[in-house]
Amino acid sequence: MTAERTTSLSEAEERITFLQIFWTYFKIGLFTLGGGFAMAAILRHELVLKRGWISDYEFMSEMSTATLIPGAVAVNMAYLQGRRLRGKRGAFTASLGVILPSFLIILLIALFALPYFQNPHVKAFLKGCSLAIAGQIAYAAFVFGRKYLNTLHNIIICVLGLVLLLVFKVHPVFAVVSAGVLGYFLCRHREKRAE
Amino acid sequence: MRLLFQLLKSFMIIGIGAYGGGLVTIPLIQHEIVGTRGWLLFDEMASLLAIAQMTPGPIAVNAATFVGFRVAGSAGAAVATFGGVLPALSILFFGAPLIDRVKTNRHAAMFREGLQVGVLSLLFYAAWAYGSAAVGSLTQFFVAAGAFLTLVFLEGKIHPIFVVLACGILGVFIF
Repeated sequence: MTAERTTSLSEAEERITFLQIFWTYFKIGLFTLGGGFAMAAILRHELVLKRGWISDYEFMSEMSTATLIPGAVAVNMAYLQGRRLRGKRGAFTASLGVILPSFLIILLIALFALPYFQNPHVKAFLKGCSLAIAGQIAYAAFVFGRKYLNTLHNIIICVLGLVLLLVFKVHPVFAVVSAGVLGYFLCRHREKRAE
Repeated sequence: MRLLFQLLKSFMIIGIGAYGGGLVTIPLIQHEIVGTRGWLLFDEMASLLAIAQMTPGPIAVNAATFVGFRVAGSAGAAVATFGGVLPALSILFFGAPLIDRVKTNRHAAMFREGLQVGVLSLLFYAAWAYGSAAVGSLTQFFVAAGAFLTLVFLEGKIHPIFVVLACGILGVFIF
């Protein structure tokens, strides 16, 4: 079983070139709107279903690691899957592939479209968009809130986080990390009491 | 050179805090770039983020490239993008084997839940900090509230980008 698995892996390694990895992730970066979880669905289609490079179980496991690490989920997934396919060099090839289209598209927009941002119609359009984003942030808070504000200790952490941010005006990164630490200790406390 | 170094530092901080990427980067960019550094006005940042949202690719990467460009040109775009992904890639590079081991660990699960609730407070904070800076009149409030209600009531049936585009088009007619 182990020997079989090793051969199939080394065959897979021979089959998948760096160019293939780069091109796959480049296409995903180029055509996927909406980042993170939208991208995960397309990645799964491309890697698990179409190419069979990785199994569904491996995909889900890497997805959960990708969300444990800060930063864009798509970039983290690309790194982890690239690493599975061709080691560390594969990891960097995949990451570069998924980042590069974003970088180039935005650079083109910045070079050629930025002057038009002062046009009153464009300005009004962007103002409308930024108001929608305010609504979208509130919506994300609503969805997450519904999911996590179901235990007393999560509510305590959330309120303390808000007090840190709004009253003490701490750095947002500090607030997120201290919520993680506090959550950890509250969880442990609860488990100890249960024992 | 000094500016590029500061830009790198700011985006590394943003990259560390951006759990889940995307929308979570918005309050961080607002805090670092508009607040602490004062490199952009809120409205300029909001315009860049709107474009970042509508173009393909991870929002966090798009936003870093665009804000970096606006602050320090093409070099700024490269530096900000690099800074934004550097924390995640370093953690993965040095810690991936370790992460695989602790991922299913009970302690990691407890820490993760705390982090997710931390991100939730950040989202509430962002709804207030970004919302109060973006909304300048009653009409604007109704547009933002309309977007929120549309997303809540059509949950899963509509891609958020269509709501953003629809509000943009609405904006052309009413602003």
